[in-house]
Amino acid sequence: MSTQDDDGPTVELADGVEHQVAMVMDLNKCIGCQSCTVACKTLWTEGGGREYMYWNNVETKPGKGYPRNWEEKGGGFESAEQADKEDTHGERQVGELPSQEDWGRPWEFNHEEIFYDGSDESLKPQGRSPEWGPNWDEDQGAGEYPNSYYFYLPRICNHCTHPSCAEACPRKALYKREEDGIVLVDQERCRGYRYCVEGCPYNKVHFNVMKKKSEKCIFCYPRKEGEGPDDEVRPPACASECPPQLRLVGFLDDEDGPIYKLVEEYEVALRLHPEFHTEPNVYYIPPFAPPQHTENGETVDVERIPRPYLEELFGEQVHDALDTIERHRDRVRRGQDSELMELLTTKDMAKQYRLEVFE
Amino acid sequence: MSERSSAADGRRSLVAVAVALTLVTVAAVVPALVGARPANEVPVTELPDADDSLSEPTGDAWERTPAKEIALASAPSGAPNANDTSIESVSVRAAYTDERLFVRLSWDDPSRDGNVSPANATPQVNSFADAAAVQLPADAGANPGIAMGSDRTPVNVWYWSGATGGQELLAGGPGTTTPIGSVGSNASYEDGRWHVVYARNRTADAENRTSFDGDEDVRVAFAVWNGNNSERAGQKAVSEWQYLALGPGPEGPPYETILWAVAGLAIAAVVVATVVGVRRT
Ligand code: SF4
Ligand code: SF4
Repeated sequence: MSTQDDDGPTVELADGVEHQVAMVMDLNKCIGCQSCTVACKTLWTEGGGREYMYWNNVETKPGKGYPRNWEEKGGGFESAEQADKEDTHGERQVGELPSQEDWGRPWEFNHEEIFYDGSDESLKPQGRSPEWGPNWDEDQGAGEYPNSYYFYLPRICNHCTHPSCAEACPRKALYKREEDGIVLVDQERCRGYRYCVEGCPYNKVHFNVMKKKSEKCIFCYPRKEGEGPDDEVRPPACASECPPQLRLVGFLDDEDGPIYKLVEEYEVALRLHPEFHTEPNVYYIPPFAPPQHTENGETVDVERIPRPYLEELFGEQVHDALDTIERHRDRVRRGQDSELMELLTTKDMAKQYRLEVFE
Repeated sequence: MSERSSAADGRRSLVAVAVALTLVTVAAVVPALVGARPANEVPVTELPDADDSLSEPTGDAWERTPAKEIALASAPSGAPNANDTSIESVSVRAAYTDERLFVRLSWDDPSRDGNVSPANATPQVNSFADAAAVQLPADAGANPGIAMGSDRTPVNVWYWSGATGGQELLAGGPGTTTPIGSVGSNASYEDGRWHVVYARNRTADAENRTSFDGDEDVRVAFAVWNGNNSERAGQKAVSEWQYLALGPGPEGPPYETILWAVAGLAIAAVVVATVVGVRRT
């Protein structure tokens, strides 16, 4: 744990990690367009056994997600209290391996027939009719008319400070890079045991049946390293392709960066399911929704998205976070300055993506 | 009863007596042979010209080798569900030709898991292949720890899986297996039973590969994974160390066997002489 004074970072990084890449996603901006999903898919997971994989997925909440019911499959660590410890977490928990049906099978469509052979059939998946897939319950949400609600939750691997995927692997084939804390699968060491898949409580490791190895989000590290044709450092594709630009990318320990401020100073960027105790480095600004309405359209002072549900997702800290954001919104409404609102609404790419600060 | 037929009868009963006596002799000698063999020995049969047949999991030559049934138990390991293994024993046969050593493992497994058959549908992301392994000290004379050896006494592992076929691995402790090549392997699944043959040159052509060209016994251990039970990595059924009886053997020359054979033949001769004598009087 590197907690240093004055000149060094004051955030907790994993042992032996110099800096930690991080992402903040503002859930109030997500329109569920799946541009991020497609950007990631075309870049990394198009073929060769990766058809069913979505390193980036966007699911509708409340909803069962991808893979189906991932929140109930276990993994991660028990809490420090459970373990009767002062430290951050206790023993690793063994999770459950999702089935092919839970992930959803990749579907073949009749594109060929429709586009080239002049068939007037409708476009539909071929073969066995699908029973589940990523974001299968899109826009379903919860609640009763006129107060139904839902929001979108984009997910990538959290490049956790305590990655239980790595701890689950008996061969230490998953590792956290020293220079930036990105969690990778060493394809040479992996023997396809899939303990990482069941060990990650976010189910963000996938198994490639053709390669017989595990594969996962690599935080677009070649883009981050300027490995592209123009040698430019770029943020992950999911971030740069997002139309409403809701992702901030940088280092958690960059004290002048927006991520540090949102996470450490204002404490409005929260970890998803902190109770898994892997300490994710992807953070979320929790969603607001308009207040509830009566049958005849009058506004009532009741929150549309029930707080207990948000608490289930983001932990107790969600209350303070929402209150802080509300306070700062008010300030802006009253014509005052708010650095926080500035950070959340910036359109300055240089502020949004700060990947070269530690070069 | 005519003279002729009574003479024929006499010959017939002599033959019967001889057969019975042979059985008695065999019954006396065989237990001695088996009894002289220590419990953890895997006999190795020399079959100089049987290369092709031994390469086949159910080749005829295997019928000329004795089978050794070896008990398996869950390997102590940190793997989740390490105690949940389902294969209780493996039948092992071994043979060698001038060039190669063959080891065949056979075990019952009602479900066949792996994509060995082309007709098999796409394997699922949460299905595991059946697998089996032969563990040997990398240095034939060494005595490594049973759990994948250690960095000072590495082991060679011949690993076969229904999904990927044969692999030769080097390990220096749990979680350290590294592929160092492929070992010849051939598998067949018949009537709910796997037969897997591993074949390798007796002479090692590289460092850290077990050599079988000396006349010493070589330690060997076995592991079987049942894919249907999600067995993989440390969740496996394993044997204790056995040894491939390639050397002269700890019991030395088979005096006991020779003595029993001589004694058996002597008893047989006395009985035959007595029977013949009695019939003549
Ligand atoms: S989200 Fe899962 S896969 Fe990613 S680092 Fe954390 S535990 Fe590992
Ligand atoms: S691209 Fe942006 S807005 Fe579209 S689904 Fe992804 S995160 Fe949401």
